[in-house]
Amino acid sequence: MHYRMVVNKLSLSSTFAALADPTRRAMVMKLTRGPASIHDLTEPFSLSQQMISKHVACLVRARLVIKQRRGRESICTLRPTTIKAVADWALDFRRLWEESFDKLDSVLQEMKHEETKHGKASDK
Amino acid sequence: MAKQATSEAGVQTFSRIFDAPRALVWKAWTTPEYVMKWWGPKGFTSPVCRIDLRVGGRFTYSMRTPDGQVFYNGGEFRTIVPLEKIVWLWYFADADGNRVSPAHHGFPDEVREGNLDEILFEDYGDGQTKLTFTRNDPTATPEEQKGAAAGFGEILDKLAEVVAELIRSA
Repeated sequence: MHYRMVVNKLSLSSTFAALADPTRRAMVMKLTRGPASIHDLTEPFSLSQQMISKHVACLVRARLVIKQRRGRESICTLRPTTIKAVADWALDFRRLWEESFDKLDSVLQEMKHEETKHGKASDK
Repeated sequence: MAKQATSEAGVQTFSRIFDAPRALVWKAWTTPEYVMKWWGPKGFTSPVCRIDLRVGGRFTYSMRTPDGQVFYNGGEFRTIVPLEKIVWLWYFADADGNRVSPAHHGFPDEVREGNLDEILFEDYGDGQTKLTFTRNDPTATPEEQKGAAAGFGEILDKLAEVVAELIRSA
């Protein structure tokens, strides 16, 4: 259920596809610490700059990353709205089930109490 | 209560151990009277619940937001293994439980529905039961699911933390 998903105007399919790759996830994690040039992004990986550019292009298409030209370099920054949509999607789901399970826990304790009161052995 | 949640692209699981025997947990999960007491986030109520517990049977759940809006979800049971497992197709519904598009409730079309959901009931011993809920996104390809098997949950957690700051500095 997506009771707070009204805010999410984005198709997340391409976003999930982009994040399915471990290299791209690592790149996104690096970018959470701030903007980085393609060169900065290449450093931690044993990949050619060409491969890195391909990954960046994928993240740009998924609207996770914005690429801007600054002098001779391309600077990548995260696009907050998409990141937020992804986080909301996951957190909504988690919150819905966490809170439903919290309530289920209370209901079960009540049910157990009822059964004891009526002298029924709780079946296993 | 032991809690565990993971998320990957297209597959999300959530599990918890309850201090109640499996038969009781099954009853709480499959009886409308009880579902109406636990379904939905904190502060929400569930005014309507209908369950026709057989393969091909349908159910309707509802949740009423604190400001009075009511949303209906429906589903169709695909697999039922008594006391062990239930699999169902999950969708948005109208008050009668008929499938409607997400737009019916004012959600954008991109909101995903038509998921195959699964709940597993495991006897955990000592009168405890472990519930594991799994949501499968039908639009995620097997490659997406496989490729995302590690680390997606982590990244979401971390991303959630940095979101506020990113929004501020944007």
